Amino acid sequence: MRLHTPSELDLQRTVLIADDESSIRLLVHATIESDDYTVVEAADGAEAWALAQVLKPSLVLLDVQMPGQSGLEVLRSIKADPNLKATRVILLTSKAQERDIEVGLIAGADFYLTKPFSPLDLLTRVEEALEL
Amino acid sequence: MGVHARELQPRELPHRTGWSVRHYTALIIVVLIAVAGGAAVAVRAMSEQDARQASTADAAFASRVAASQIAAHLLMLQQTVASVAANPGTAAILTSPAAGCTLPFDGAGPFSTGHIDIINSDGTVKCSSRPFSGVAVYGAAGWLPAAVSRSVTVAPFLDPTTGLMSAVVAGPVAGGGGTVAAIMDLAQVGSNLGSALGGARQLEFLVTSDNDKTVLTRSLNASHWAGKSLAGTAFVTTTGSLERPDVDGTPRLYARSPVGSTPWLVYAGADEARALTAADLSSNRDLAIILGGVGIMLAVIFVVYRRVVDPIRHLSLVIRGSRVDGPVDTIGMMGASEVTGLAEDFARLMATVKTELVERLNSEQEAIVSERNYRTLFEGHPQPMWLYDVDTLAFLEVNDSACDRYGYTRQEFMTMTICDIQQPQDVPKFLELQAMPMPTLDRTGPWRHLLKDGSTIQVLITSHTVIFGEHRARFVLAEDLTDSQRLALELVESHARAEHSAELVLARDEMIAVVSHELRTPLASIVGFAELLATREVTAAQRKEYLAVMLQEGRRLTVLVNDFLDLRRLEGGHLSMRFAPSDLNALITRAVELFSGPGGTPITVRMQDDLPLVRVDSDSVFRVVVNLLSNARKYSPLGGPISVGAAVVDGMVEVYVQDKGMGIPTEALTHIFGKFFRVESADRGAIAGTGLGLAICKNIVESHGGKIGARSEGLGKGSRFYFTVPIVREEAQTGDVLIVEDDSGFAKLVEAELEARGLSSIWAADAETAGHLVAHARAVVLDLLLPGLSGEAFLNDLRATRGAGIPVVIVTLKDLAPAENLSLQKAGITAVLRKGPGTAAAAANLLAQSLSRELVAI
Repeated sequence: MRLHTPSELDLQRTVLIADDESSIRLLVHATIESDDYTVVEAADGAEAWALAQVLKPSLVLLDVQMPGQSGLEVLRSIKADPNLKATRVILLTSKAQERDIEVGLIAGADFYLTKPFSPLDLLTRVEEALEL
Repeated sequence: MGVHARELQPRELPHRTGWSVRHYTALIIVVLIAVAGGAAVAVRAMSEQDARQASTADAAFASRVAASQIAAHLLMLQQTVASVAANPGTAAILTSPAAGCTLPFDGAGPFSTGHIDIINSDGTVKCSSRPFSGVAVYGAAGWLPAAVSRSVTVAPFLDPTTGLMSAVVAGPVAGGGGTVAAIMDLAQVGSNLGSALGGARQLEFLVTSDNDKTVLTRSLNASHWAGKSLAGTAFVTTTGSLERPDVDGTPRLYARSPVGSTPWLVYAGADEARALTAADLSSNRDLAIILGGVGIMLAVIFVVYRRVVDPIRHLSLVIRGSRVDGPVDTIGMMGASEVTGLAEDFARLMATVKTELVERLNSEQEAIVSERNYRTLFEGHPQPMWLYDVDTLAFLEVNDSACDRYGYTRQEFMTMTICDIQQPQDVPKFLELQAMPMPTLDRTGPWRHLLKDGSTIQVLITSHTVIFGEHRARFVLAEDLTDSQRLALELVESHARAEHSAELVLARDEMIAVVSHELRTPLASIVGFAELLATREVTAAQRKEYLAVMLQEGRRLTVLVNDFLDLRRLEGGHLSMRFAPSDLNALITRAVELFSGPGGTPITVRMQDDLPLVRVDSDSVFRVVVNLLSNARKYSPLGGPISVGAAVVDGMVEVYVQDKGMGIPTEALTHIFGKFFRVESADRGAIAGTGLGLAICKNIVESHGGKIGARSEGLGKGSRFYFTVPIVREEAQTGDVLIVEDDSGFAKLVEAELEARGLSSIWAADAETAGHLVAHARAVVLDLLLPGLSGEAFLNDLRATRGAGIPVVIVTLKDLAPAENLSLQKAGITAVLRKGPGTAAAAANLLAQSLSRELVAI
């Protein structure tokens, strides 16, 4: 997890990446890294939810399959929290988890991307989500 | 039915031992009559005896009473006489010539008759209590002179004044000159005695003088007997004081009593005939009562006989006459309600018996037919079948197929027990199963059975319990699972599996999802970073980082794909194992060396001394050990101690790997050997792994016939993984040629070439194992590039222990320097061959020649 200083967080929009695979976190981080956002990483669902409550991120990139609290559970928690009304969510899934995608969209996810995904597509989705 | 009905037709009056009710009834009647007769005789005899005794007692009593009354009266008369005689008036009467007198006679009772006279000394009566006749009548009386001077009592005496037989009580009048006499009428005395004492009892009284037996008076016909003597009459003396005189022709029982101080006797006589007649009457009445009772009893017996015995006899006749296939006749049953009830019950019973009998006859007939069928089936069945005694386990019957398949003759089977065809290691399990209550029909297996030639077959056992003669037996069908049958069984099993298809589809879908996820994650990294590199300007540092991730994930993907494919092959049984003797010590040491790089905690190795060689596919078992060590290292993030060891446990070698790391939650222990299962917790998230390692280990260990397991005290308390592998058997450690070669493929090739030349071989995958085996071999094929101890080192040891006598062919990929080659030649190596096509055959040829030369030399 890379944490930035609170002063930076105040000034910039925050994007939270939640994935138990460090290589994916690195890829997403590298893809969307920009001066416009602060990117924060979480290694599992519980950490993601804890950070989401504190940081109130503009966007959360959620891996669906994580140990402990799954991405879907974190998604529901976010959608149920009035303080996080403005938070957008993009789900990262394996293609085979189509049922999870459906459940996720119903639960309020804005977009989804299946692994392996194109970093450019991801960037486009992130920008779209933040402009919403 | 028809066949059997003949046997069950009624038999002609079967002989019955014992008495029938009729006999008993007759006996009762006879006994009753006899008892009644006996009772009558006894009653009569007893009543006669009683009558005699009563008569005797009565007579004795009456005689005593009569005697005392006579005595009392005589005393009273004496007192009266004395009183009158002492009266001065009496003397005056006697002295006064003209004086007349009236004397009162106050006698009482039976002596109320009689009179008192005052008599002059000349015998004339001066004064009398009865009308005085003035005639002197007593002058001639013998007693008078005596009475003038003293009192006398005299009888019999014929009273001249009355002309009656009398008794006299007399005494002198005071002053002299006369006598007072009281005179009793004896006839009246007898009559009074008869009416006062004997009347009701029909007693007769005789009063006699003792001396001459002169009858003084008699209660019956007194006058006739008066004065007569009994002397000369027939007396029959009986016991005691009783006499039986026959006075008037009537037999009487007499009792005799003396009368006071007089010489008189009183006989009281009872009329025996009358008493007996009375007794007869009484006994006749008793007899009538007895006979009446007997009659009533006979009547009762008659009724009972008619109402109970006759119906029973009738019923009996009906039963004898009834046929199994005929109706039960109860018509005409008129008996007591119990008997009628019995008849009805019997009718019902017969109906039931009939039904059951018919069924049984049918089933018996069927049983005969079916037994014949079963026997034919048993004898001719293509599968081995037998019967064995559940208690002794001895074979009772075997069919031809069992003899053919197992190789024993029927006679041999009959001397064997079921344990003889079990593999020795299966016997305890088999006996344990036998000891448990067996289901009637059971299907177990597959079992491995020993044939006579020592080989084994796999069989499925279907058995059920039967009674065979006096044996509790088990009827067994052994389905021989030869290849085609095993296929059939697998087909059946796959059908069974198909029944759970829904479950399986779910499981498969889940597996696909898991595999897809596991594959896509590294793929996503690789493709993603490649795209970034391809589309973006990146710094050199970034490029390096991205490429490092791509390489790492690419390798991970490779491992994952390999693991997954290996697992699929293991599960499908397609991954061929090459089992060979192996030195676990060397194997584990090599595995530990992999982890001995800098930074890691040292791993402690604790091997049992003299650990036997194990029969394993060394590459696979090496992989298991490495995997367990790798896990131990991975899940001990703080670098806790790790130990690995091996020891013989229960006939297998158990290998363990122990750490003091994160441990495993109890609920996860059963799942960790499943595919893609990983204990979920945040601290494990960073630990890489495919989730297939333990599943692969489990498959490898199980294909060795071993077991794998894990124990953990819980989270944070470390884990202990252990697995078992079989010990290599003694006989598998010998062969003509020892092949020391880590490449199992090439080893197999050499083995085949040697076999083609008639040479057996043993294979060792490393030099350490070869060191244990070389003592049993006559020649060696040696690879120089070996894991652990090198081929050269092995060769040096060999020369040290066996000298140059053993032929050795070196087969290697190594490019040998000329100097090396030369030193090998010097060491007496048969040949050095470079691995390539035909090398195996060449090596085999060289060794075959070398060994045959050796034979010739010997």
